[in-house]
Amino acid sequence: MNKLLLGRYLNGNSLIHRMDPRSKLMMSFYFICIIFLANNYITYAILLLLALCGIVLSKIKISFFFKGIIPLIWLILFTVALQVFFTPGGHVIWSYGPLTLSKAGIVNGVYVFFRFVLIIVMSTLLTLTTAPLEIADAVEALIKPLRYLKVPVHEIALMLSIALRFVPTLMDETVKIMNAQKSRGVNFGEGSIISRIKAVIPILIPLFVSAFNRAEDLAVAMEARGYRGGDGRTKFRVMKWHLRDTGLIITFIIITILLLIFRNY
Amino acid sequence: MAMSIKLNNISYSYESDTPLEYQALHQISLEIDDGSYTAIVGHTGSGKSTLLQHFNGLLKPSEGYLSVNGLKIDKDTKNRDLNALRKDVGFIFQFPESQLFEETVIKDIAFAPKNFGMSDQQANEVAKKAAKMVGLSESLFEKSPFELSGGQMRRVAIAGIIAMQPKILILDEPTAGLDPIGRKQIMDLFYKLHQEYKMTIILVTHQMNDVADYADHVIVLEDGKKIADTTPRELFKNKQWIVKHHLSLPQAMEFAFELQAKGINFEKMPLTLSELVDELEKRGIQHE
Repeated sequence: MNKLLLGRYLNGNSLIHRMDPRSKLMMSFYFICIIFLANNYITYAILLLLALCGIVLSKIKISFFFKGIIPLIWLILFTVALQVFFTPGGHVIWSYGPLTLSKAGIVNGVYVFFRFVLIIVMSTLLTLTTAPLEIADAVEALIKPLRYLKVPVHEIALMLSIALRFVPTLMDETVKIMNAQKSRGVNFGEGSIISRIKAVIPILIPLFVSAFNRAEDLAVAMEARGYRGGDGRTKFRVMKWHLRDTGLIITFIIITILLLIFRNY
Repeated sequence: MAMSIKLNNISYSYESDTPLEYQALHQISLEIDDGSYTAIVGHTGSGKSTLLQHFNGLLKPSEGYLSVNGLKIDKDTKNRDLNALRKDVGFIFQFPESQLFEETVIKDIAFAPKNFGMSDQQANEVAKKAAKMVGLSESLFEKSPFELSGGQMRRVAIAGIIAMQPKILILDEPTAGLDPIGRKQIMDLFYKLHQEYKMTIILVTHQMNDVADYADHVIVLEDGKKIADTTPRELFKNKQWIVKHHLSLPQAMEFAFELQAKGINFEKMPLTLSELVDELEKRGIQHE
């Protein structure tokens, strides 16, 4: 239940923690784009170095980042295997039917592996150093221009932050209800498929009931305190753009230029 | 068969082997006798709930072992072996009304007995009996539990555990959020189960009056460690110790200490209200 890394945030006060969530969110997406510019040892080395700098600056133990990779390891290995065995060309070392093992294939496999690892490390870096509500604020700020297209930006952002806010609450609730039903003799994960599905009902119904009750309480509490949508609403968590955020963007511009130079090296 | 609980040097850590590891219990050893009424007290976060969840195998100790009803539980115990244990150990959680899910009150109360192997008819009978014990009127039996008031839902949830006819009953703040009359009725019911059916009762509470009125054994936890394991009378005798650990005294004893400060001496410090009245009457102090 608590293996889930989504929204797992580690409190801290490092340089990365203090960066503006908008710049972190934008640059995380940007990183996923520029990773496709990398095509040789030097360019991958540059990106690895960047990721390593991020990890060091976040002051978070590196084992956390490996924990983010482990759940996806089979997907990564499968993709790597496809690359290794089905890349044509280059010096063929070994072949069996349609499978060929060539030098180009191995090199490609290694690249794909690092591409996955880099993407996971960078997104983990974002979620570990940015509280879910900060990310929701950043999303709101970044999709704000869409309001000219009559998109209900504030409502979407509110839904997002409420949903994120209640993930841990509902997980706690689930554990609590499971414990109560286990104590009443329900066996989870045992018996036939049908009995397993039946065992879910005593969890789902109380969970829905409590989620609806919570939603109602929340709505009443918000209205009681005068909530009436986003118009003219000021923010409790004001996002401030600092020099370090400009610095982050300049770093990414430099990295992009370096990648463009060295990819044809 | 003896239903005693023995804990041998139990430690428990949440999220062990991760950087977020948090040790909630530190080497706790204790014994709870068959037919006793044990109160567990301590502040929020002292490890009470974690400790309780070991008694029916919801959690397994990270270190050490315990035995319940002769069944030894350590970190390698299989979940399958724990199901039989749960029939004998009823667990009433905090705000137990959140476990209700069936269409009717009676069906919900009969849920656990059926899970533990009773036939539909048998389960229905024990459910009705349990419902009457907790004071639910017959007109409610076929209603949906979600139509009831908060206090009635609490009673349905409690009846659902009593219907299992457990030998050990674990109560985690069973009266939190109830009105004073409801509180007293529920606490008296548990005491009756203890007296008449010889149920072993383990109660977690913040109400020192309940500890004084009902329990014959009290365990105090602080920061995941056991700091006292004694009788309520011994525990509350030492006022300095109670103050030092930020606990409070039962009302009767608090009052007696205040009288003592004003010069009235007691041979035996009264623990409960009736003892206080007796002591005062001995001295010829009558209420007007």
